[in-house]
Amino acid sequence: MTEAASTARISVRGAGKRYDALEVFRAIDLEIGQREIVTLVGPSGCGKTTLLRCVDGLIPLSEGAIAVDGTPVHEPRAGVAMVFQHFGLFPWKSVYDNVAYGLRLAGASRAEIGAKVPYFVSLVGLKGFERAYPYQISGGMQQRCGLARALATEPSVMLMDEPFAAVDAQTREILQFELLRIWDIRPMTMLFVTHSIEEAVLMGDRVVVLKGRPSMVFETITVDLPRPRGRQTLGLPRFNELREHVWATLMDEARRAEFSVSS
Amino acid sequence: MSARRLGWTITAAGLAAGATLWEIAGRSVGAAFVAPLSDTIEALTPSVWRALASSLGLFATGFALSVAIGVPFGLLLARMRLLRVALESYIAILNATPMAALIPFILSMMGFGFAPKVLVVFLFAVFPILYNTVEGARSIRPELIEVARSFRSSERALWRDVLLPFVLPFALTGIRQAIGRALVGMVAAEFFLSASGIGMVLQSASQSIDTATVFAAILLVTLLGVLLMELGSWVEGRYAAWRNIR
Repeated sequence: MTEAASTARISVRGAGKRYDALEVFRAIDLEIGQREIVTLVGPSGCGKTTLLRCVDGLIPLSEGAIAVDGTPVHEPRAGVAMVFQHFGLFPWKSVYDNVAYGLRLAGASRAEIGAKVPYFVSLVGLKGFERAYPYQISGGMQQRCGLARALATEPSVMLMDEPFAAVDAQTREILQFELLRIWDIRPMTMLFVTHSIEEAVLMGDRVVVLKGRPSMVFETITVDLPRPRGRQTLGLPRFNELREHVWATLMDEARRAEFSVSS
Repeated sequence: MSARRLGWTITAAGLAAGATLWEIAGRSVGAAFVAPLSDTIEALTPSVWRALASSLGLFATGFALSVAIGVPFGLLLARMRLLRVALESYIAILNATPMAALIPFILSMMGFGFAPKVLVVFLFAVFPILYNTVEGARSIRPELIEVARSFRSSERALWRDVLLPFVLPFALTGIRQAIGRALVGMVAAEFFLSASGIGMVLQSASQSIDTATVFAAILLVTLLGVLLMELGSWVEGRYAAWRNIR
């Protein structure tokens, strides 16, 4: 299969978003292949999450177009699942029922739910907590549940909205390795928004850096680290090089923004 | 002794002390002013119980109506922003209005039948339900609605899976508050509209200075109120556990 023949799973062309006078981002082009993880980094308020929600079809673009598997996105579609920053679990539903939520909405049979939910619950390491309610488990476990809910619909595309930003640093690392492990078992397309440079390099095949006002794609960095990745990846000299590279790209902007008042 | 049992023991001791004090006060002040507990219990005649049963019919009708109208209407306000903005201030105003002041107006409009009395109970009870339901609907986390949309929920499924379960605990709080208000409404209606049930017992007994019967009627309504409120709290705890711990 030639490079041209491998069609992109997600294709973003000339995407722009504005709220009245505020232009959030402009002219964003992005192609994400099957089994590719693209991480999206940029300063706060640069519109990373907004772009992600546009890809999910939750909000419309102002300009340009987004397609998934060649079909234009106008509303949320099957085969695309999102993992939310604040987990978005239903507090009145047990872990089991939260994980089953997407399947039930998709009209899955009782037998199908009975087979899939326990599988995904144990895949994310929540076996034994099926009957627990979100308020009874830790933040890390809650996001495992959010992950299982998205995975259970067996999507070909996962959209990750800073999924580990709301948990503590140690839990965050554990969840990163868990996600890498799961991805190795069930590889899929992933668009991953994060604030963490380390996370962006660890997870991504490419790191897309958004910058400017309105923000545009400033640089795309190919992460040529071997898979499967895991804890050992953090020790590779190449990992540090890439991290430094992304850091320099981002911080240049951040410093300018911080001191822009005095200039 | 467990803390729970200790708590119960103290509560029981407190109630016993109160009952004793009541008995002593009644015997020293005189039965015409304060009927002692023993006289009050003796005054719980079948006719007082029958009066209570008749009052309960009024209470149940008005209360059921306020739940049946208050909750759905509150939910409607939740989903229709325009309607909510338009009516919100009215709900707040009517929630604060002393409903007893409206009774003469209802009397002149509707007369002495059963319907105006039901209306009084309904008006007393419906606003806490409406107010709490709307309040609950307003506090729905937008993120949860976004989750539902992201998973391609239909509007019907959104109601079933997100809106109703979220609003339920708030509605139950309103319903619990409404129990007390409906009881006040019940007695007020029976007092100021055509005398019936417990209201009539209270009226005729106090006119003939039969303090024991007056106390018996009050005691019954109070116990009923406590019982219903406890029931309300239990239901609330059963279906709204997630809300307090969140």
